[in-house]
Amino acid sequence: MILLSRRHLLRTVGTGLSTAAVGGAAAVAAAPAALAAPRTAPADAVGMLYDTTKCIGCKACVAECAKVNDLVPDTELSGGLWQMPADLNTQTKNIIKLWADPATGQTSFVKRQCMHCVDPACVSGCPFNALQKGALGIVGWDGARCIGCRYCEVSCPFEIPKFEWKKFNPKIVKCELCRHVLDRDGQPGCTRVCPTGAVVFGRRTDLLADAKARVAAHPGTYHLDHVYGETEAGGTQVLYLSHVPFEKLGLPALPDRSVPTGLRHGGVALKLIALPVVLYGVFLGFFRRNWKVHEEEAARLKAEKGLEEQL
Amino acid sequence: MARPASRATPLGVPLGVPLGVPLGVPLAPPHASVIHRWQRGVSVREVPLVTPWFLLFAGFFVVGTAIAAFRLFGGSLASFAAMTDVYAWGVWKTFNVMALTALGSSALAVGLAAWVLGRHRLHSVMRTALVTSFLFYTTALLGLLTDVGRPWNFWNLLLPWRWNTESALWEVALAMPVYCALFLLYENGPMVVEKLWNARSDRVRGWVRTWHPRIRKTYPFVVPFAYVLPIIHQSSLGGLMVLAGHKVHPLWQTDLLPLLYLVQALICGFGSVIVVLMTSCLVWRRPLDVKVLGELANLMSWTTLGWLVLRLGDVVVRGRVGDALAMDAFGVLFLAETAAVAVPALVLRSAHLRETPRALYTMALLACLGGIAYRFIPTTLAYAPGAGSTYFPAVPEIVITLGLVATVVGAFSLVVKRFAVLPAPLESWHHAVEHDSHAHPSHRSDAHGHAVHD
Repeated sequence: MILLSRRHLLRTVGTGLSTAAVGGAAAVAAAPAALAAPRTAPADAVGMLYDTTKCIGCKACVAECAKVNDLVPDTELSGGLWQMPADLNTQTKNIIKLWADPATGQTSFVKRQCMHCVDPACVSGCPFNALQKGALGIVGWDGARCIGCRYCEVSCPFEIPKFEWKKFNPKIVKCELCRHVLDRDGQPGCTRVCPTGAVVFGRRTDLLADAKARVAAHPGTYHLDHVYGETEAGGTQVLYLSHVPFEKLGLPALPDRSVPTGLRHGGVALKLIALPVVLYGVFLGFFRRNWKVHEEEAARLKAEKGLEEQL
Repeated sequence: MARPASRATPLGVPLGVPLGVPLGVPLAPPHASVIHRWQRGVSVREVPLVTPWFLLFAGFFVVGTAIAAFRLFGGSLASFAAMTDVYAWGVWKTFNVMALTALGSSALAVGLAAWVLGRHRLHSVMRTALVTSFLFYTTALLGLLTDVGRPWNFWNLLLPWRWNTESALWEVALAMPVYCALFLLYENGPMVVEKLWNARSDRVRGWVRTWHPRIRKTYPFVVPFAYVLPIIHQSSLGGLMVLAGHKVHPLWQTDLLPLLYLVQALICGFGSVIVVLMTSCLVWRRPLDVKVLGELANLMSWTTLGWLVLRLGDVVVRGRVGDALAMDAFGVLFLAETAAVAVPALVLRSAHLRETPRALYTMALLACLGGIAYRFIPTTLAYAPGAGSTYFPAVPEIVITLGLVATVVGAFSLVVKRFAVLPAPLESWHHAVEHDSHAHPSHRSDAHGHAVHD
């Protein structure tokens, strides 16, 4: 073991610490990002409001969705006779399901499709921004950027995105609020054909006010007098009013803070620049100190045994 | 197995180390440590390259690769995998990438110990750690390539404006190939350069004379970054499941997942290098250096104790002790997984048992299994509980996964027979060089052309 002089030690460790200091400065600069504020919906965010008390389960929206989005209707369960999807799938971006409790006789329809979260987990996790919140806060998919990793399926709290498992060139299929016809029709296919107004399209702020007005006008009708999607997972642009517990409709109880908000604590600058630089600086300092020891051992090995050291 | 019944060993002493030694009997008494001192990587020369075992692993490799190629170039995922929209990640990602790269973190764990913490004794096992890491990472990346549905879009890696710097998966997708293809290859470079020198071609030696000093000059500046990269992406692997939120069972879902995954990678890194070294010594009849192994075990044990403080502290702070002791499927899984990690940590606090091969081998193996379990369970067993959907890997998934593991084992056996990887006493090196010299009587020199002084 070769002992280092104190001065030498100070110098080598100093190298590392000064490099680390640069990273530390970057960390301070990144400090504002460390307090990641929850994201809010864009001012022009649009969405839908679905009200279980108004839905008659006619499924006009399901048929229209397939038509507007050029999807081949899923007729598998009906033996090829009529559209009868078992759940959301790569042919079905929108579905009406029935919940029934045999014990109480209570029933409710529910319309399921992408919730267009204010701060979507799928967008936060998507490695190359294939899923992004675009104009009007609509979460859309871009095939040129998607590597087919299916992290969106893993991270979505509502189990919405579907993957074309059976195709060699698989796509991610989910509701995109008919963004390709919004200019022409002014609204998605499902809301346009709904005969009872069970699902309506509009600005999120307007829909939220509408929903709260309905709750106020019919106290005790809606579960917990709560608009699902106002706060869940940081808020969603599709809102629900229900006369049965939301969990029964497959809408899970979720904390108000979106999961991505929690991950943003510390900020990207801190995580990807400051932390690596600090670590590199510290490792470099110690590495160089130990490298000297290694070199001296190598010299001794060569002198005594005539051997080159091995790295 | 093609192994000569008896053969001369470099030192003329029996080098075989049976693992059947009763627990508690140290194999190498302290006074024998001169003989059993690992100092230098020496290739395995006494055994033929191709053995029946090697053919078995090669067979798994060929079958696995063939199926993976079919999947990649001509088949949908549905025809090869049992994954569903609920269980969208199968064993290629959850086992080969998320669990097994923990075993591939030996280069990180041993490197930090040897080069940063100054545990100089561990330099002798650095090459074993590096080769192990490289093979686990390469096969994980192959698994990832087979798994993704639109692999042609990986070229987005080259377009920084398309990166989602917020995504843990982006970090993994970028940092893992870079770490494997640049840094692990660089770190394994000196071993290859040394081999090239031994090829005794003047042209190649000229090349080595140019490049070897360059590697040595850049080494202290490049390698620290080879520790930063895996620290980032091993923690990102834990971060992946955080985004799944409530779908992961609360016993596993925590904001600490990144840190727990990272520290578990260090534990598995130490564990895997112990298991790889001891298995290699058993198979190829090498002497064990119980001091080096004991030091690795000591580091593994302390790291595990630190990990347990984090893991159990997190469960307590989040108020999940009731779940842990509920004795339902998840509670039992948690207890079993924790025991598999905790028992080795506690047993290996005994210096005596650390230097007892049989105890050490069993405990390191158990720690690796516990670590793999910890990193696998949140992705599959404790993922989306009660979602009404199940996942069990399809046969092609299992065959490809086994093929990737067999590739690690088979390729390792090839590398250690051709390159000076596995540690041995210094005298073995002289023997190895003598062996070369007999083949080339005109060159009595060591690996770098210096005269050998016997």
